[in-house]
Amino acid sequence: MSRGVMLMSGGIDSPVALHFMLRQGHEMTCVHMDNRPFTDDSPLAKVVDHLELLRVRYNQKIPLVLLPHGPTQIKLMRETDRHVGCVLCRRFMWRSAERLAVREGATFLATGESLGQVASQTLSNMRTATASVSLPIVRPLIGFDKSEIETVAKSIGTYGISTRPGLCCQAVPSKPATRSNLVQIAAEEERIDVDQMLDDVLRHATVL
Amino acid sequence: MSYYTLALCASKGAFEAIPLPKLSLDLADAKRRLETAGIGVTDARVMLIAAMEREVTLSRDGRVLIKSLDADEAARVFDKLRRVIGLPDVSSAPAAPG
Repeated sequence: MSRGVMLMSGGIDSPVALHFMLRQGHEMTCVHMDNRPFTDDSPLAKVVDHLELLRVRYNQKIPLVLLPHGPTQIKLMRETDRHVGCVLCRRFMWRSAERLAVREGATFLATGESLGQVASQTLSNMRTATASVSLPIVRPLIGFDKSEIETVAKSIGTYGISTRPGLCCQAVPSKPATRSNLVQIAAEEERIDVDQMLDDVLRHATVL
Repeated sequence: MSYYTLALCASKGAFEAIPLPKLSLDLADAKRRLETAGIGVTDARVMLIAAMEREVTLSRDGRVLIKSLDADEAARVFDKLRRVIGLPDVSSAPAAPG
């Protein structure tokens, strides 16, 4: 089976997606985008606990890499249009994961996204966000509805961890765009030095 | 007249003070006042992150998020913030219309 990089948020969906990837026998490295100070310590603690549980279940090491995302968010908030902030944020997450994947010799990226749950998961925004990377993206939950995902999460024991109290992302704009296009996004990214920002992210990677 | 309620936020991860009606804060001025009071501030343009006894996020519309799960501590931190930058006091009742 192949080797991939899985984005882990601490929420309900990503550990379920990871469970399906591991069940198929893929070798996964997990990455958590550390969104502090726009959140608190709870998302990271949840990811750590999710992985502890799935490591035991699948008898695998499952490395976890922590990448700083707070400084990126601050830069985006200062320099770019807030309306498309979630799409720009997602593009940075994808790019960071892709850079890590290349470094780790992984051949695909994976995520717990399913269609239409939040602004970042409309088809339009997913397309714009993922146009920033070239590795294939696997979405094991894409056609699941929330209740189906929750049922699996409960059956594998990750639901209780995911639903512990925690702080939602404070960088989400009050009215995030549900549609976006690449021309608009490219213009926003002209205002910032994307490569330099990604270099900084990867330079501060921490393996937990 | 503006007022705040101070309560656990929806995800129960912090205390949140919400002004009603929304305010329109001068964040540059708030930042100056906080720094003058010796409080470290990260300026994210549309919000400030203040390194108080607990980390505090202050949005332009006056929403304040205090990263604490202790109601007394959150109230203390909010009261200090309120006095430093001149926000309205906490109230438990909505302002009278009109």
